[in-house]
Amino acid sequence: MKRALIKIWGDVVDAMELVFSILIISTTTMGLYFLAPQSDTLPLGLFFGLGGAIIGFIITIFLFKPKRIVTYEEEE
Amino acid sequence: MDITMIIWMIVAAIGAVVIFTIIGFIPGTDETSVLLPISLAVVLAGVPAAIVLTFFIASIVTLNITNSMPTALVGLPGGVMSSPMIEHSLYIKNEGRSAMIIKKIAASAVLGIAISIPISLVLANLLIPLAETIRPYGAYLFIAGAIFLSLISKNKILSLLAIIPLALMFQGLRFLYKGLDLVPENKTITVSFFLGITIGPLIVSLFSLLNKKILEQEKVDDFNKIVIPKEDLENTSVNPFKILTKEEKKKASIGALIVNFLFVLSPVGLTILFGNALNNRTKKPLDKASGSITTMSSIIQATYISGIIIPLLALGIPLSPVALGPGAALFNAPPVIDFENNLHHILTGFEFTVAVLIGATIALVITYFLIVKYARKITYIILKKVPHESVLGLFIAFILLLAYMDAGLINIFGVIMIGLLSGSLNKLGVNYGVQFMALYAAPLLIEILAKVV
Repeated sequence: MKRALIKIWGDVVDAMELVFSILIISTTTMGLYFLAPQSDTLPLGLFFGLGGAIIGFIITIFLFKPKRIVTYEEEE
Repeated sequence: MDITMIIWMIVAAIGAVVIFTIIGFIPGTDETSVLLPISLAVVLAGVPAAIVLTFFIASIVTLNITNSMPTALVGLPGGVMSSPMIEHSLYIKNEGRSAMIIKKIAASAVLGIAISIPISLVLANLLIPLAETIRPYGAYLFIAGAIFLSLISKNKILSLLAIIPLALMFQGLRFLYKGLDLVPENKTITVSFFLGITIGPLIVSLFSLLNKKILEQEKVDDFNKIVIPKEDLENTSVNPFKILTKEEKKKASIGALIVNFLFVLSPVGLTILFGNALNNRTKKPLDKASGSITTMSSIIQATYISGIIIPLLALGIPLSPVALGPGAALFNAPPVIDFENNLHHILTGFEFTVAVLIGATIALVITYFLIVKYARKITYIILKKVPHESVLGLFIAFILLLAYMDAGLINIFGVIMIGLLSGSLNKLGVNYGVQFMALYAAPLLIEILAKVV
């Protein structure tokens, strides 16, 4: 399938990769949230969920590449 | 306040600098959408009030400087606040002077903060007696605030008409959840609702991509081409006072001074208004562009500092666009804090001042040197390594989590519904300020409406 590049929120994304990023990060976030042990003193669910979000974020950074061509201006 | 507390405040400030340096360099990340969720997480995690305030101040100082970097270097606005700089920075970029302007932005931010912190603290203290008299009318204040913010916005009638439907939606959901026994009788859902407002425009954009016709229109053929400009070899000074010209220092100071008194107005509006007005009479185009950007940089800092410090210290009720949007979590984040018991009530004047000073100083010192030395390198690495997909995915996941935590699965759809209405209204021209006020005004407004037959 031909990739669909889309402009959203000021930058270019690949539509399928965006869908997968949302799915992956949502899964790790909610997954860890549900795995959190019960606690009366600390909001462990929130901590675990946030940890999951960061894990998912890192996974997608390795999976997908930015749709930007970045170069330095020629130094004279 | 002991040494351990101060050490934790310093750690929190450094944490904020790290997080918001990365986020700031990513183009297009709206301030409210990034500041609110992260500060909310910090508050809900049960972090002590003084550390929360340090963290928040360090966050806004860092974000407002780093947001200007992609703006100045590659012409993509880092956030809403840096959008007024775009026109001027494109001119400077075409003149090949981008590297010069990033140092000026950082130097001018130092000025803006140095001026606005003492003035905001003094203004807040002057307003405290007045605050005692108006506080009992808090709930009415939100209705008045929603009307006031509508009347000073660009789309007055549209904003006014949006208030009641918005309030109806919020109260509708709250009553529905209570009716279904999803939330306890004494709990009022707020957190996920204001995240719904914040993420609204993004939700509308994502949903509209599911429409084939719109998808075709939004398609682009190529990657985003970005060129990072040359190093500035002319002015190698790192002293902020040597980086700005005398004229620039004067205008940046005047701008930062005036906006403190106008803290109830929109930060981006003030930035556009005074940033341009103070530089209108400059003749040379390059001086005009550079002057406008430096003035704006100090005004941006001053609007945020005064917008959060004055309402928080004097009143404890969010009566400025900054307090209502990005800073909302410092006023109301149930179950940890609410309007009867928030940072205003918990912190003494002394603790408040120390927290503000530590947050601002640490953020300024680190960010300033990072920018002056490594702005080009950081821009390169972040644009090269962090895909936009990951950033968007992270925000969606975050909203999902907080929506679920508030009222379970049904609330995920509730938040999507809020996002769709709020985002559509936002695109039509109803700003965040009006929408947040409508959320706070909702209980009383609907109660009053119900009594009118």
